[in-house]
Amino acid sequence: MVTHTRTPLRADRLRALNVPRPVAVELDAQGFPFAVDDGDGKRTIDEILEAWRIDDEWWREPIIRQYVEVVLEGGGHVVLFEDLTAKQWYIQKP
Amino acid sequence: MLSSDVAVCLWIPLFPLRCEERRRPGLAGQPAALLSPDDARRLWQVAPTARRMGVRAGMTVSQAIGLCPSLTLCEPDPVYYDEQFARLLLALGDVSPVIEPVELGRVFIGVDGLEGLYGKPGRVVEVITRTVAGPRSGTRAKRRTPNGRTLPASPFPPHRRRRGWAEVARLGWGKGKFVSWVAATRAKPGDAVIVANGERRAFLAGQPVAVLPLSPDTHRRLWQLGIKKLADVARLPEAALTSQFGREGSRAWQLAAGNADDPVTGQERPEPIVAAIDFPAPVGDRAMLVHALGKLIERALKHPRRTGWRVHVVRVRAALEHGASWMIGATLKDPSADRDHIAAPLVARLEQTPPNGAVEHLAVEFTAFARGTDELQLFARDASAAARAGRRRALHAAAHEIQTRLRRPMLHHIIEVQPWSRIPERRYALIDFEL
Repeated sequence: MVTHTRTPLRADRLRALNVPRPVAVELDAQGFPFAVDDGDGKRTIDEILEAWRIDDEWWREPIIRQYVEVVLEGGGHVVLFEDLTAKQWYIQKP
Repeated sequence: MLSSDVAVCLWIPLFPLRCEERRRPGLAGQPAALLSPDDARRLWQVAPTARRMGVRAGMTVSQAIGLCPSLTLCEPDPVYYDEQFARLLLALGDVSPVIEPVELGRVFIGVDGLEGLYGKPGRVVEVITRTVAGPRSGTRAKRRTPNGRTLPASPFPPHRRRRGWAEVARLGWGKGKFVSWVAATRAKPGDAVIVANGERRAFLAGQPVAVLPLSPDTHRRLWQLGIKKLADVARLPEAALTSQFGREGSRAWQLAAGNADDPVTGQERPEPIVAAIDFPAPVGDRAMLVHALGKLIERALKHPRRTGWRVHVVRVRAALEHGASWMIGATLKDPSADRDHIAAPLVARLEQTPPNGAVEHLAVEFTAFARGTDELQLFARDASAAARAGRRRALHAAAHEIQTRLRRPMLHHIIEVQPWSRIPERRYALIDFEL
């Protein structure tokens, strides 16, 4: 058994990293994103690297998201996801 | 440090083998191969005549003899090759102050401004070729112009004719090291390819992807994707190559499109500190060699020019019995003036690749240095540990000052929370830097 260090946890000192930001995403006819506007101008998506879906924490506030990892024009590598509950797109780093 | 945008690449393929052919003229034209300095059972360099019979570098000696029974094998003499290359660099230093050696037999020469001195690129290349060829025989020949005026005599003094490198050297002229290197690979022995600035892109477009400095895995993947020429690479979006191959892909695109900025950078030649010993009888015992190495390092460290400097690069040269030689080197991660710290990587290399014979003459050379003080060595057993401790103290002092001035923490650690999570914002978190 590991001895308790008696150091206070200080959960108030933890800050989230890579917090997602809301963005506007344009979809093509098949429903895949082809352009994103995060407030700094619209950029097209050159390539979709990976896509996956998460259905989690159904016992609390359900997290239902469709993720897409993309390469933007100019070489930027980001992750987009649509919150399927709120119907809002977000952007964050991979 | 001097640099030059326009470069000439001088390339002498199989330089060590060519060195052997120069001092053993009977070897030229024969199927010959050099043994590897690291593994005497394997081949290092193979002459073209032997390659035509299927012998390849890296093969074992028995495999090679099986393919080519008349193969002549030569013991390597790395000290001799190093000396020959150093002489070549010294001669090229008379043409341009911007010389960047890459490896034995390949050097970049910065030629910015030389057109004002010698004329068109063709003339500059001719000067380099003549420098590499060495002095010519005969009296000073007077040259005449078509209208009968006499030009000054040749700048080279009369000497007995010696065989130079000009017959085997390949030269390439272009803007940047990459273009000049590719041009050199396209030149025939004794010839030069000049790529004018306006022709750079067209010249590169037709070159094979093999000329790009990429890892073998990346070359294989490009081949599998059907990308064979630099024009194919340049036609792709840079973002696509970056996402597939990372930084290597981005660099490849820059080079293929002719956009890379890679000037020649002249290197300073520091005066080395040498300590050497001649053994009364050739020494084969490894323990004795290690002991002698330690003593030579100690002697070199006491040299007056070393005071106030720490050793960064060290080399050991040995002359073996029967005329062979052996050489190892080490670049210290943390420059040091401590004997054991300097000796440790050399002893390890000596164990891995011992000399192939008894040693008659042993020399230790310090060839590069970093600034340092004697006090650092007195009070810190390991200079790097002292530097780390100093950095920690400085970081704590800075964090304390920031917190005092701003009354809230501004420095944080990044800690792992759920690094395996598929939700990116749950993987890591920031926590205040603890004083």
